[in-house]
Amino acid sequence: MASTSPRARMRALSSGRALFGRLPLTGKIGVLILLFWAITVVSVQFWPLVDPLMMAGRRLQPPSGAHWLGTDALGRDVFSRTLHGAAYTIPVAVMVVVFAVVIGSALGAIAGYFGGWFDAVIMRTADVTLSFPPILLAMTVAAALGPGLPNAGLAMIIVWWPIYARLMRAQVLEVRTREHVEAAIAGGAGRGRVLVVHILPLCWTPTLINATMDFGQVALLAASLSFIGLGAVPPSPEWGSMISEGASKFYSWWIAFGPGMAILSVVLATSFLGDGLRDIFDRRGPQ
Amino acid sequence: MRNISLSKNRRRARRTGLLLGTVGTLAFGSALAAQETLVVGRSMDVNSLDPSRAFCDTCQVYLTAVYEPLLTLGEDNKTLVPKLATTWENNDTFTEFTFNLNPDAVFSDGSPVEASDVVWTFERLRNLKGSPSFLMDGTQSIEAVDTHTVKIIVEAPNSEFLNKVSAPYTGIMNAEAAMAGGALADESAATADGAEGWFLENSVGSGPFVLTNYAPEDELRLTANSAYYGTAPGFGEVVITQIQDSVSQAQALETGSIDIAMQIDADTAKNMNNPDVVTEIVPSFNFVYFAFMPGSEAMKGKLTPPVREALTYAVDYDGMIEFTVGGNGNKIAAPIPNGFPGTANLMPRSQDVEKAKSMLADAGLGDGFTMEAVYPNDNVYGVDLNIMMQKLQQDFAQVGVDVTLKPVTYPVWREDMANGRADLTAVYYAPDYYGSGQYAAYFGMTEGSTWVSRAGYKSPETVVNAKEGEIYAAALAASGDAADAKYEELAKELMADNVIIPLVSPNLVLAHRSDIQGVRYSACCNLPLAEISRK
Repeated sequence: MASTSPRARMRALSSGRALFGRLPLTGKIGVLILLFWAITVVSVQFWPLVDPLMMAGRRLQPPSGAHWLGTDALGRDVFSRTLHGAAYTIPVAVMVVVFAVVIGSALGAIAGYFGGWFDAVIMRTADVTLSFPPILLAMTVAAALGPGLPNAGLAMIIVWWPIYARLMRAQVLEVRTREHVEAAIAGGAGRGRVLVVHILPLCWTPTLINATMDFGQVALLAASLSFIGLGAVPPSPEWGSMISEGASKFYSWWIAFGPGMAILSVVLATSFLGDGLRDIFDRRGPQ
Repeated sequence: MRNISLSKNRRRARRTGLLLGTVGTLAFGSALAAQETLVVGRSMDVNSLDPSRAFCDTCQVYLTAVYEPLLTLGEDNKTLVPKLATTWENNDTFTEFTFNLNPDAVFSDGSPVEASDVVWTFERLRNLKGSPSFLMDGTQSIEAVDTHTVKIIVEAPNSEFLNKVSAPYTGIMNAEAAMAGGALADESAATADGAEGWFLENSVGSGPFVLTNYAPEDELRLTANSAYYGTAPGFGEVVITQIQDSVSQAQALETGSIDIAMQIDADTAKNMNNPDVVTEIVPSFNFVYFAFMPGSEAMKGKLTPPVREALTYAVDYDGMIEFTVGGNGNKIAAPIPNGFPGTANLMPRSQDVEKAKSMLADAGLGDGFTMEAVYPNDNVYGVDLNIMMQKLQQDFAQVGVDVTLKPVTYPVWREDMANGRADLTAVYYAPDYYGSGQYAAYFGMTEGSTWVSRAGYKSPETVVNAKEGEIYAAALAASGDAADAKYEELAKELMADNVIIPLVSPNLVLAHRSDIQGVRYSACCNLPLAEISRK
């Protein structure tokens, strides 16, 4: 790493291959796993898999050549359902993280830069939201809105935005006292311009790292909500609801195995990638 | 070195011996204690321990152990046998019933069971207007003729009244003791009675057990009633411990931490192969059904009788039993359990997809339509309603009807049912006593019945079947074969309504440790604890 200046770091990011090359091995594995799931999400309907919603064989059959991960209580192929399940959980996790980052960061930046009652209102709201355990708040919101993945997604955005608001506020508070910002203000730049052009580009690193790591946690929460019946509704092959079906058929372990491994892989991959990104961008943390 | 280590070993061996001896003594002591205590694993659904308010499967088990009704159901699950009443009689028109109480019967505080206690208990049950109050519907007068004789007059002929007073909810309470706990029996009871909390800590029955402790979602502990006038129960103590699901109950039974489990599903039971565990699969009187809601906003003019009939032909009834309980269940024709009066000659429904399609086409719905199914997200009697409804969704899809599934919590479901917010639903039913009348009252499409207001909502005319009320009244005025014939006629009308469609009567897995005997499933009382003993 020749330079650690922010601009150099941004350039580094702009070159995906260079960035991949600098990731530690675990980070690389994380990227590959996430890439696999991303490809699965967009193309799974074209794969030569049996219909995940229709009966494909006898019920509760253990893994075999015909059904790699066995069949569930309705005789549906668990392997096919697991792969199709990615198309439910992963897009929801992406949407939740994107919205939480955009909403949370915007509010956090406003709170940090403008201060005053903006800061008070936004940050106290964030504090109140953060004071609830995430799963409990998400459950409450999802239960009030009714079951369904869109509602579960909305519930998760409500739970998740304050984390990014806090992160961004802390970054903005730090950066706005720097000399180049003061110079820009002295030079007559408007407040909006100062925030967008001179402050925000220096603040996104922790957000990026956090968002990467959170992606797995959001996927896990989405699955948890489906597990307790507040997320995806049957017959969707959503991972959480598949595990829920498997839980009552404990001796047919394969029903929950596929989706369980899928969730594990996503959470691990995002943790690996998040750690790798932190190693590259955040020089202050433990190396 | 060697010597030292030897002597060390010897010391260690002596210590181990001492330890083993102590453990052995303790184990022997606890084995003695274990002989005294019966542990039952259950997912407890207790809503109350007040006999006039309780209404649940666990309540049946508890009330049967602690209270005694006038009559009870024999082991054949059909015949009424004496309990507190040694003899009883009724007039030819089934409007007057006289019960003679056992003069030896005493409550757990030693005071005698008298006719006044029966009168007080029944009046409280009627006036409290709780869930089981329907058992006293239509009683005109309940009076004590003398200390041990009770006479009850009902407004209209009711040949099922004797069955009703065998329900555990009619267990007789010690009136004086209950009143001291704040219980009221007069007409103000519905609003002024404040004894529900008191009943969570006290029992005032004449049954073989008394309540010692109830911790919600944890345990229900009973001790043998030392004043019991009948045969002493096989155990000095019974603990019903909360174990939520089928798999955990199976594991607890296999490890020996519980003696009996009754909520293990058939798929799980198949995988239990511990020689110390006995499993017996018996037909149950419970059933799971789906119901059409023609009164919902979206179904106006769509779910007409022919369309409902068409859809019943789309259902794969055999497959349903396979998919929900792995084949461990029975088909059921009308919403009355197999084996109850009037069900002997009924023909279960069968699938005919082509007929369903042509009937839908005749009704102008050949291109199909969409329905929303709202149902409790529960696993009951081994049936996962989610699995059942996914199967129904597949079956209906074959005739072009697209069902959206909306599993909700039970309280939300009740709310949705009361407000016509579903086109289709699914739920379950377990008997409160042996008799088909309860099904006529609950599922019958008679003006004002529970299911007319749910299924018909604001358009009851879409479902009401006036004939059913008349047949039910005729059945209650008859007895024996004549009553059975009327119930059969009623069952056929219930089938022709095509509103309540029973899908499966799941078998019950009675699982217990091999040293336990006397475990049986009762239609009225679920699990009679007093009959159970250790070999």
